[in-house]
Amino acid sequence: MKRYNDLTAVDDLSFDVGEGEVFGLLGPNGAGKTTTIRIVMDIFKPDAGSVRVLGGPPDAARERIGYLPEERGLYPNLNVLDTLVYLAELKGISRPVAREHALAWLEQVELADWAGHKVKELSRGMQQKLQFVASLVHEPELVILDEPFQGLDPINAGLLKGLIRDLQEGGTTVVLSTHQMNLVEALCDRIVLIHQGRAVLYGLLEGIKRRYAPHTVRLQTPVALGALPGVTRVEPHDGAFTLTLEEDVTPQELLRVLVEHGIPLTAFEAATVPLEEIFIAVVKGERHGQDVDHRST
Amino acid sequence: MGKMWIIARHEYLIGIRRAGFIIMTALVPLLGAVGLLVTAFFGGQAADFLERQFAIEPQWIGVVDCSGIFAPILPAYQDRYHPLADEEAGRAALLADEITTLLVIPADYVESGWATVISKGSGFRAAAMEDSASARAFFVDHLLRGKVESALRQRAARPLRVEAVTISSSGETHGGGPFSIVFTFVVPYFLAVLLIMTIFVSSGYLLQSVVEEKTSRVIEIILSSVTAWELLAGKVIGLGALGLTQVLIWLLSAWGLSGGTVTLLGMAVPLLARLEVFTLALVYYLLGFLVYAVLMGAVGALGTTMRESQQLAGIFSMAVAIPMMMSGFLFSNPNAAPARALSWFPLTAPTMMMMRLPLAEVPVMDVVGSILALVVSIPALLWAGAKVFRLGLLMYGKRPTLAQIVSALREA
Repeated sequence: MKRYNDLTAVDDLSFDVGEGEVFGLLGPNGAGKTTTIRIVMDIFKPDAGSVRVLGGPPDAARERIGYLPEERGLYPNLNVLDTLVYLAELKGISRPVAREHALAWLEQVELADWAGHKVKELSRGMQQKLQFVASLVHEPELVILDEPFQGLDPINAGLLKGLIRDLQEGGTTVVLSTHQMNLVEALCDRIVLIHQGRAVLYGLLEGIKRRYAPHTVRLQTPVALGALPGVTRVEPHDGAFTLTLEEDVTPQELLRVLVEHGIPLTAFEAATVPLEEIFIAVVKGERHGQDVDHRST
Repeated sequence: MGKMWIIARHEYLIGIRRAGFIIMTALVPLLGAVGLLVTAFFGGQAADFLERQFAIEPQWIGVVDCSGIFAPILPAYQDRYHPLADEEAGRAALLADEITTLLVIPADYVESGWATVISKGSGFRAAAMEDSASARAFFVDHLLRGKVESALRQRAARPLRVEAVTISSSGETHGGGPFSIVFTFVVPYFLAVLLIMTIFVSSGYLLQSVVEEKTSRVIEIILSSVTAWELLAGKVIGLGALGLTQVLIWLLSAWGLSGGTVTLLGMAVPLLARLEVFTLALVYYLLGFLVYAVLMGAVGALGTTMRESQQLAGIFSMAVAIPMMMSGFLFSNPNAAPARALSWFPLTAPTMMMMRLPLAEVPVMDVVGSILALVVSIPALLWAGAKVFRLGLLMYGKRPTLAQIVSALREA
């Protein structure tokens, strides 16, 4: 728990991040995401509760974590390579090794030609990439990225997405905090949705999406559909049908029934709802119930 | 601990490349060099020119003597005083620039004491003659000629020369000659003021560095790698070394420019002559820097812009200005009660003690007390500073309230 005077920013929040997974830390503005991250990074101390990072207290894990804060910048007058070397040194990497890592990373994000330039000479997108690299140059075991795609064009966002996937394949654990739900869907294994300092959704992304799925199936078939067991309603439209299932019937069971009935299928799709809609539904639903003062963390 | 040194080195290397630092550091030796060049190129000519422009005493004085007392002019004065036949001839010589001043002594000079002094341009030279020591010697010497022996005449012309000697409570004596007063008191005093100024230059760098890290938003990345304490301590060391580099460059350039003798030794010898003053001055310099650097670091973190931080820092700079404002009073009474009280207060102690030390024998209790107050308050300030620093650094666009600062300090 973390309080700021009379405001409770994080309250009774509990979650685990598994080794090697990409974990989404989601929530509306002011939900307590940044405060949570700052507690994990040992920048703030919690008023109550405990945090264990990489098997120990937060202050012992500092050097093994890479952190890209939401409020971020670099020394405008320092050159690109010196910036990376300095930040890596602060993470306990020796100067020559830091230099080697930095050059390799600059190569990877297509900034090698800029190594000798001052940071302020870089475009905004380049600076974003450099900040991203700055959080990785010491080869951390855990990377916490707060809105890493902010201000990036689609090409650079794609590059970053690829890098995050590479990290995961290399065994690095990634905590991703972002408002871009399409990226969460593309990258994350599990998520926690924080609202007003509490976890309101937590678990496997797939499971959450299934839980919020509207229990319908869309299918296309050339034949006319009659009554089917386990189906409460059949709606035809545009040469397709939307079937509403009974509570305890899964799309798999319906598929078996359809096959048993010999109904030919040209398309079959369990309807899903985008994460964005789940997010909005959960947050709005919560807001109806409580009227709590929430401010920026 | 290791990270503190990495930060110190980083701050030092960034600072030393700053345009402001280079300009400030180069300016002092540069001005000295310009001064030397002027003297070297124009040499004696320049000196003569300046002397002619600004010298208060006239260089060649024509004397028209109607009293008979000044004829013939004594050999000691013949290079400056030239006898002239009458006022007409005198005026002609004055207009022809053969003489700079014409002195007309009337027949009744002994009774009235009046004489006329004629000069070109402003009446400045004429007026100055009345207070001139050499003119006085010229008159006394001639008036008493033949009546009083030469040595006594000289004494009558200049009856008192002072050699100031001070005696300490332990019976040691210091000084000799009027220059000695200047060297023992005034020079170390100004040296102290110079050192005090460098404290502020260095802590100004600290303020700037903190504000820049905050406004460029690099601070949260840094704080995810090091503790606020390490960051503040690293900055204090790095930027302290930067300030020291500046002072060293100034001193070395002064030494180099003067051919390694005059200025620097002239300043250092009296300080070294009182070794305890010199040592203590160094101690107060170091402690003073630490107190103000830590304060500036914390204050820098609280403002949202450079201007706002500078305004906040100004409040603390007032503390150092108090002993400076009291300097006139300090000269006459360095051990007065208010001076002693301010010596015990950590914010004014370094400057107050540095100013008092060269001026008088400071009670041992004040030395011990002020050092103790500083040694205790520096870690306390560093501890509190790191808390405030962390609080302030992560608040963008708004300044923490007093209540927030207090609650941050209470947090374990």
